[in-house]
Amino acid sequence: MVSLAMLPLAACQREQRSLRLDPPIEAALDDVRTMANGIGGAPPKVYVALGRPYENNAYDLNEGKRLYDWFGCTGCHAHGGGNTGPAFLDGWWQYGSDPVSIFVSIRDGRPAGMPAFGRYVTTEEIWQLTGYVQTIGAYSSKTAAPSRNDEMQSRPSENRAPATLGALQPPSR
Amino acid sequence: MSTSDIAPDARDTALQEKALAERLASLWATPRGILGALSTVDHKIIGRRYIVTAFIFLLLGGVLALAIRIQLARPENRFLGADIYNQVFTVHGSNMMFLFAVPVMEAFGVYLVPLMVGTRNIAFPRLNAFSYWIYLAGGITLWAALALDMGPDIGWFAYVPLSGPQFGAGKRADIWAQMITFTELSALAVAVEIVVTVFKQRAPGMSLDRIPLFVWSMLVTSFLIIMAMPAIMVASTTLILDRLVGTHFYNPAEGGDVLLWQHLFWFFGHPEVYIIFLPAVGMVSSIVTTFARRPIVGYLPLVLALFATGILAFGLWVHHMFVVGLPRVGESFFTASSMAIAVPNGIQIFCWLATLWDGRPQFRTPLLFVVAFIITFVIGGLTGVMVASVPLDTQVHDTYFVVAHFHYVLIGGAVFPLLGAVYYWYPKIVGRMMNERLGRWVVALLFVGFNLTFFPMHILGLIGMPRRVYTYGPEMHWGGLNLFVSLSAVILAVGFVLFFYDAIRSAFSGEIAPENPWGAPTLEWATSSPPPSCNFERIPVVSGSYPLWEEPHALSVATGLRINRRELLVTSISDASPQARESSPRNSIWPFLAAIASTVMLLSSIFSPWAVVWGSVPIAVTLIMWFWPKGTPEDIS
Repeated sequence: MVSLAMLPLAACQREQRSLRLDPPIEAALDDVRTMANGIGGAPPKVYVALGRPYENNAYDLNEGKRLYDWFGCTGCHAHGGGNTGPAFLDGWWQYGSDPVSIFVSIRDGRPAGMPAFGRYVTTEEIWQLTGYVQTIGAYSSKTAAPSRNDEMQSRPSENRAPATLGALQPPSR
Repeated sequence: MSTSDIAPDARDTALQEKALAERLASLWATPRGILGALSTVDHKIIGRRYIVTAFIFLLLGGVLALAIRIQLARPENRFLGADIYNQVFTVHGSNMMFLFAVPVMEAFGVYLVPLMVGTRNIAFPRLNAFSYWIYLAGGITLWAALALDMGPDIGWFAYVPLSGPQFGAGKRADIWAQMITFTELSALAVAVEIVVTVFKQRAPGMSLDRIPLFVWSMLVTSFLIIMAMPAIMVASTTLILDRLVGTHFYNPAEGGDVLLWQHLFWFFGHPEVYIIFLPAVGMVSSIVTTFARRPIVGYLPLVLALFATGILAFGLWVHHMFVVGLPRVGESFFTASSMAIAVPNGIQIFCWLATLWDGRPQFRTPLLFVVAFIITFVIGGLTGVMVASVPLDTQVHDTYFVVAHFHYVLIGGAVFPLLGAVYYWYPKIVGRMMNERLGRWVVALLFVGFNLTFFPMHILGLIGMPRRVYTYGPEMHWGGLNLFVSLSAVILAVGFVLFFYDAIRSAFSGEIAPENPWGAPTLEWATSSPPPSCNFERIPVVSGSYPLWEEPHALSVATGLRINRRELLVTSISDASPQARESSPRNSIWPFLAAIASTVMLLSSIFSPWAVVWGSVPIAVTLIMWFWPKGTPEDIS
């Protein structure tokens, strides 16, 4: 019964659309603390206090998908299959699969070609991208995840993850 | 309800009036208690529920309309905000079309058609019960979604790609599509029931040329539903498949077609307008006949106009799509057909005017609503002919001119007759009269409030205000007219509040209604108010179009029906000569349980396609129990 009662609340937050983030919250969301090697770490307190919105909010995940195209992520990573950049679909993460690692990868870049996007996109947009990129390589599907694009089909849609079965083989490169 | 003390073949001829009434009451009654309420198959109880539920949705949708008007009352208003505004206008439109207008018209059909054709229950009464529960579930789905901030935000037409997988984030569009599935399911069920009731259960002697016009209009409406609704069910199902499973029906890059959605939607969407309008036409004909005190002028042209409207309704859907880019021939064809539909509607208007002209009209509240309808609907019809022409439509497309037009034809063309019908049939349904003095106030407030609210929208549209915008800049100079519209909406709202007040108060303290308070000619007035559970203790036999005017003192009846099971007469299609005695199904809880199982399946399938597989098992179980054979013959000829 309790879980049934909680269901609408969960759905509630899942469907919320915050079209403009409060500036103090956005500033606080930038405050991630990583381990010394830049992989893993603690998310900002406000991120947890908000209920980890960028991982389970349908609108933010969808915005992430839009930004993924708009900021040219497809140029190197394609639609998750990888090209000059590593693939996401295989579920193999060189720099960690947790949100903080992905956030830092996008904001600060990584060695061997990943540029730092912190200069071009806002913190909220980085978080939206983080949530989306994590969905691509997820091991189980999220009902809040976006669905296919109106494009040539290159992969199963995100809400039907896991996109690959028996992934977990390290990439050959 | 077989009882041992009655011979298996006992007939009603052997019983006196009082004993027969008691016997039939126990045979057809709905048991008290919650189980009885959930398992009833009485078309009057279900029809009443339908009407009340639909009017609750009208009230809720009206609240949303007021919220919209507050938001638009002045430029740069911050009452709702863009996201909530999108949800509010979408739910307002979807609610009014799918949860109010269509169901309330069907509801009147469910209540009145069996009474008007002189039978004891609607055909397929358990399907009728099922359809109500499904409708209720669909309505709750939509409103619960809005309350949870996940209401659809894609307009009531849900065009792809906005509603498609790429741009329709979250489950909002799925809620809309599934709500469509619910309401179409219930509408199709009711349509089938009404067609069979009208074709096979008419009182002996009610040949095709003696069918009351309201029944004709419900028959044509039902055929429209049967032919139009499958298109939208295909559309909503393929939309969900695109969104959930990742199919490519509406993906141009993979060979799908975005425009396919618009064709499927409007192939349903335009007949939908007539599904709402034609029953209203039937109501107007009933009211005009009764209050003009003479047979309607032009019965045959009126029936033919219903059919002409019904057929033409399927040939003009493309006029909603004039600006998507069509070949010239297509534009010309659909312009011509759109204008042609004004002809049958014009014929009807002239028939009513002639009836009133030649009769001795008594201007009671229902007839006042008809007068309000005629004026408002003619204005809406004129703007309809205007937007049927491609150049003008290209100019005013997606502006408030269109908003004004369709509110004129929907409120003026359907809601005014509907409210007239409520005043007209309220005594039959409730057993008490509504207040005549309040009724006149309601008509006046609604008519004035409506025209002051919606007429300025024509001008707003012509000076360029687009539809669906959540706000506008002060430099557009739309503020003054919008404020005027919003203030006028208050008058309209007061009229509706007064109507609801009158309807609720009269149910408790209205004057007790006699059998036939208006001196009307059709069969529903031949039984008590409200009717007994069996409708007619003896099935009437009809020898003319206006039975209660032709045989005012005692109606001929048919006898010889069995009294140890629910039995009614099956008659032939054209001249309604008796063919068989058929048993009518008893109360059953299984339609309710089947509706619950269907609801669980349909709602879960928003989240996982596997829900269709596993959810079909409980549905199959409930359907098997519902149709469990009884081992008795169903009809005896």
